[in-house]
Amino acid sequence: MSLGLLLLLLIGLAGLGFVAGRQRALAAVRGDARDLHSLPAYYGQAVALAAAVPAALLMLVWLIVQPLAVERSTLALILPEDIGAGSSRELVMADIRRIAEGMEVLVASGTANEGEIVALASQPEALKARLAEVNVALAAPISAHVAGAALVYRQSMATGQGAMAVAVLALAVAGFLLALWRVTPQFRARNVVERVMQVLLIAASSIAILTTAGIIFSLVFESWHFFQLYPARDFFLSLTWSPKFGGGSDLGLWPLLWGTLYVSAIALLVAVPIGLMAAIYLSEYASPALRAVAKPAIEILAGIPSIVYGLFALMTVGPFLRDWFAQPMGLGDSSSSVMTAGVVMGIMLIPYVSSLSDDIINAVPQALRDGSYAIGATQSETIRQVVFPAALPGIVGAILMAASRAIGETMIVVLGAGAAAKLDLNPFEAMTTVTVKIVSQLTGDTEFASPETLVAFALGLTLFVFTLGLNVLALYIVRKYREQYE
Amino acid sequence: MNDMRLTERVVTETAKMTARGVQVHYGTNHALKDVDVDILDKTVTAFIGPSGCGKSTFLRCLNRMNDTVASARVTGRIEMDGQDIYDPRVDPVQLRAKVGMVFQKPNPFPKSIYENVAYGPKIHGLARSKADLDEIVETSLRKAALWNEVKDRLTAPGTGLSGGQQQRLCIARAVATSPEVLLMDEPCSALDPIATAQVEELIDELRAQFSVVIVTHSMQQAARVSQRTAFFHLGSLVEYGETGHIFTNPTDPRTEAYITGRIG
Repeated sequence: MSLGLLLLLLIGLAGLGFVAGRQRALAAVRGDARDLHSLPAYYGQAVALAAAVPAALLMLVWLIVQPLAVERSTLALILPEDIGAGSSRELVMADIRRIAEGMEVLVASGTANEGEIVALASQPEALKARLAEVNVALAAPISAHVAGAALVYRQSMATGQGAMAVAVLALAVAGFLLALWRVTPQFRARNVVERVMQVLLIAASSIAILTTAGIIFSLVFESWHFFQLYPARDFFLSLTWSPKFGGGSDLGLWPLLWGTLYVSAIALLVAVPIGLMAAIYLSEYASPALRAVAKPAIEILAGIPSIVYGLFALMTVGPFLRDWFAQPMGLGDSSSSVMTAGVVMGIMLIPYVSSLSDDIINAVPQALRDGSYAIGATQSETIRQVVFPAALPGIVGAILMAASRAIGETMIVVLGAGAAAKLDLNPFEAMTTVTVKIVSQLTGDTEFASPETLVAFALGLTLFVFTLGLNVLALYIVRKYREQYE
Repeated sequence: MNDMRLTERVVTETAKMTARGVQVHYGTNHALKDVDVDILDKTVTAFIGPSGCGKSTFLRCLNRMNDTVASARVTGRIEMDGQDIYDPRVDPVQLRAKVGMVFQKPNPFPKSIYENVAYGPKIHGLARSKADLDEIVETSLRKAALWNEVKDRLTAPGTGLSGGQQQRLCIARAVATSPEVLLMDEPCSALDPIATAQVEELIDELRAQFSVVIVTHSMQQAARVSQRTAFFHLGSLVEYGETGHIFTNPTDPRTEAYITGRIG
């Protein structure tokens, strides 16, 4: 039974449970809902949840555990002689998976029936040819033993799938019947539904946290591989970045980190003053009507995809800065420059700074402004000396948020600042950032297990630690000063 | 009510501020109708009346705080020492330095105690030197009867004080620019009885230096601290006169109904 059909069945059963639970509750009190502990719909929901939730959970666990278990038993089938020179157990396993998928395609396209598949498994050459016909190409020649293992793999997957359908449906029906049996006028359906909802909400928030943990784990894991192939001392202390795809590369972090910091600093120098002043104007001076128009208009900037900003940098800002600033001042003749990327990124960040700061400034109590006006302060004195200091922690938070965004930005840098890793002070020189190099290292044509590729993970981890540090700093600042005006 | 004190009151008769035919509109809402009041020099004037009667609105006319409300429109004539304060030549910012204000809820700035008090003198350039400023801060805190409690922690944040101390800090802040009139909008409504008593005592002392106008919901408070009382009802000034007279022998039946608790 396919997964989709199983899901549909579960949903159908839940729907049926809702109707049945509601009916049964109403029937128990002869249609007078006032005698029920909860509203009739709650009884329906309780039955529907009992039918669907445990079964769905079982299905989820099964879908995770089954491939692991089957793969484990198949791995045990692989003999040492199956593993050719330059290959590994994992690569053979990948082949087995691919052959099993190919068999599935053969059956699905109707070119072979189950009997033929079993027969083909003993003729590796014919199997390879048949698989090639349905566009499943295999690199290495197949041995009969591997083809047999693929057959076993495919069969145990199919058996598992069937067993899962039976188990899930059985659990769903059991839940359905048990819940329906428990529906009596005294049954506290409302409280039960409430508790289930709470668990669902907790599950939703744990997914977000677990994902973060998973991302960190994978980064750390691959970075660990990298540092086994390449000395950490060179990565953190070397001042040159020159990956050579034949090996013997210099993979120093500093040129990239310098580029990242330089571009981000210019971006913040553009975004913070403009964004902050826009926020102050909008929250303190602008009339409500103007604010209603201007604020969304500024926020449109945040909705422009960064690749479009990249095009703007490449086509407009880059040549402009080169022709009007870099060349007249004798600072170079490259249209890709740190300045180009920084300025365009700064424009992109304006709405982040202004929108957040505007909200924060608005949250400063009117009583503080009144207090200042009543002493005879002008509006700008009030803003500079009372409102701004009171809003400062939040504003710092907004700026650090924008900084994290700047550090992680890629597209604008690729198109605006180029891809040359350099340590230079000249802002009109092309440089590049950590994120750009992550992309180029991973999309390169080298084998995955080389330091030239794995360095991407170490770079990613560095960047992650960096932005995490910034976010923690932002949280700390906000926490420390938050209660100041309460 | 302390009748002994009512008879002791000495009232000066020079008017510090005079209001004639003052009307206030908030948008289409006619909040204040045709109010005539003389605020006497070195006198405490109390504004009483039920919620929404316009007493706070009128108070905010006296230092042009209504200018900061976009929808407010003030007409009529308010003079201070014979000068129309709504005259275009009058800078509302300068006016507010001369007419200080204390609000209902203590609103110290999120700065140190010292900076809270020094704020006004600094922006108006009243101190020539740091020593000068220190002295202004000390005198103001002394006038607000707060000096002894905070002299050892002037650098501590003003928001860390208790409610009553915060309100006295706000009074010190208002006093620091040496105002000629001090407006107080229900200054004790967020305070406990002990802090209230302290602030009331303070008001009585402040009267020696300038006129105080206080809006209050408590008739006992009005009777305790003021020499003059104005009763507002539904946006109009119903009765204005000597405090003892208003509380013992009101002429208007609405005043009598209010002070005896029948309307409010």
